[in-house]
Amino acid sequence: MLHVMRSGAQPIPDKVMRAMFAARKEVFVDLLKWDVPVLAGRYEVDQFDDAHAHYLVLADRDGGHLGSARLLPTMRPHILDSFYPQLCEDAPPRAPDIFEVTRFCLDRSLSARERRSIRDTLVIALAEHALANGITRYSAIAEIGWLQQILAFGWRCRPLGLPLTIDGKMLGALGIHIDADTPRLLAEAGIIPLPGLVDRDSRAAA
Amino acid sequence: MGMHRISQFLELIEGVATADDLTLAMVEVCAMLGFQHFALTHHVDLVQAPSPAIRLHNYPAEWAAFYDEKGLGVSDPVHRASHVTGKGFRWSRMTNMIPLTAFDRRMLDLGRAQGIGDGFTVPANVPGEARGSCSFANAWGQPLPEAMLPAAQLAGTFAFESARRLWSIRTPQTGKDKPLTDRQRDCVLWAARGKGDWEISRILNLSEETVARHIKQACERYGVNKRTSLIIRTLFDGTLTFSDIFRR
Repeated sequence: MLHVMRSGAQPIPDKVMRAMFAARKEVFVDLLKWDVPVLAGRYEVDQFDDAHAHYLVLADRDGGHLGSARLLPTMRPHILDSFYPQLCEDAPPRAPDIFEVTRFCLDRSLSARERRSIRDTLVIALAEHALANGITRYSAIAEIGWLQQILAFGWRCRPLGLPLTIDGKMLGALGIHIDADTPRLLAEAGIIPLPGLVDRDSRAAA
Repeated sequence: MGMHRISQFLELIEGVATADDLTLAMVEVCAMLGFQHFALTHHVDLVQAPSPAIRLHNYPAEWAAFYDEKGLGVSDPVHRASHVTGKGFRWSRMTNMIPLTAFDRRMLDLGRAQGIGDGFTVPANVPGEARGSCSFANAWGQPLPEAMLPAAQLAGTFAFESARRLWSIRTPQTGKDKPLTDRQRDCVLWAARGKGDWEISRILNLSEETVARHIKQACERYGVNKRTSLIIRTLFDGTLTFSDIFRR
């Protein structure tokens, strides 16, 4: 099922959160070799994992992590304005209805086929979360190869500046516009959610 | 180049309704960036892809004809190099990226003779689909517009996505209707790791005949005869990934 955490909402069970931080360590530290803090040798947690962050977590029935994403309000310090403002030609986007998508994480235990389903489900969940919470735009930083995939989801994207090579990786910043038309664009691009995971009733209660 | 100009050409690229429109838009984008030629293509000859493949370019006709006649889509060193990196690269740097054969060098020379000099290629890889790229090139002797390469990177990335939309290459094709069973997939995975039927039978605790049957049935689902083709097809459609094969 999909767990959503945002301020004022019912918290995500600890077990699900722990599994997410552990999965993030496996993906971003072990696999991608990012230089980010690790807690207790098991959990990837940084200074932006605070009460202001929103999380979307897809978990199996036992709370096992499948995929997750973190959303940071751009009115507060976030990654683009704190570390990579040079990726934006103008000032990094900052507004109450703009959130930065970070730590888009697909569990390493998934097979290629499962990865695609979980990825699609998470993308749809991001769009629906935005529509339900008055978010009109996401900002994101992506390595250039991943950027091609983000475009391929079919939603409307605009670069925020020219891509730059930073520490040997070419990075680009992107604005992703979400409106009532976005679900249709995603569907046309073949982004299909797993039927069982996005349960509208439980989400409404979350 | 400022973002205002870039937004202009991204709108040009995204606004197209036909392949001809996209060609015209790309010719205009080339001019804005300081290039003469572009090629927007899937690298499909490697795998006999069942769906139509993207191919748009404004290279000299003689060069394109020669390229097709020799079937260079299979072995084009520019394509091969674009499979080892995610970011755009200059052709002159290719020697640092992949081993170039004598034939590759001859081909680059021939391209030069046809008026194609140095170029910049933006790899485009969407998992589950054929790899592709967007190349920009100039005539021999004309330098690459160095300052424009980051903008060319964005133009190539967005142009490829625009082409995907036009070609409707947006849903995984192969295998989706009849996915392999988990057992078949396991057998193909071990075959891809170089194991023979007997070894696979020991690893998976099956009889050798059962392994052979799983692989034969997997071949039938993809309509191929050889296990090499089967492995390539499962990699192509995302049933297997390279990291599945190399992870132990």
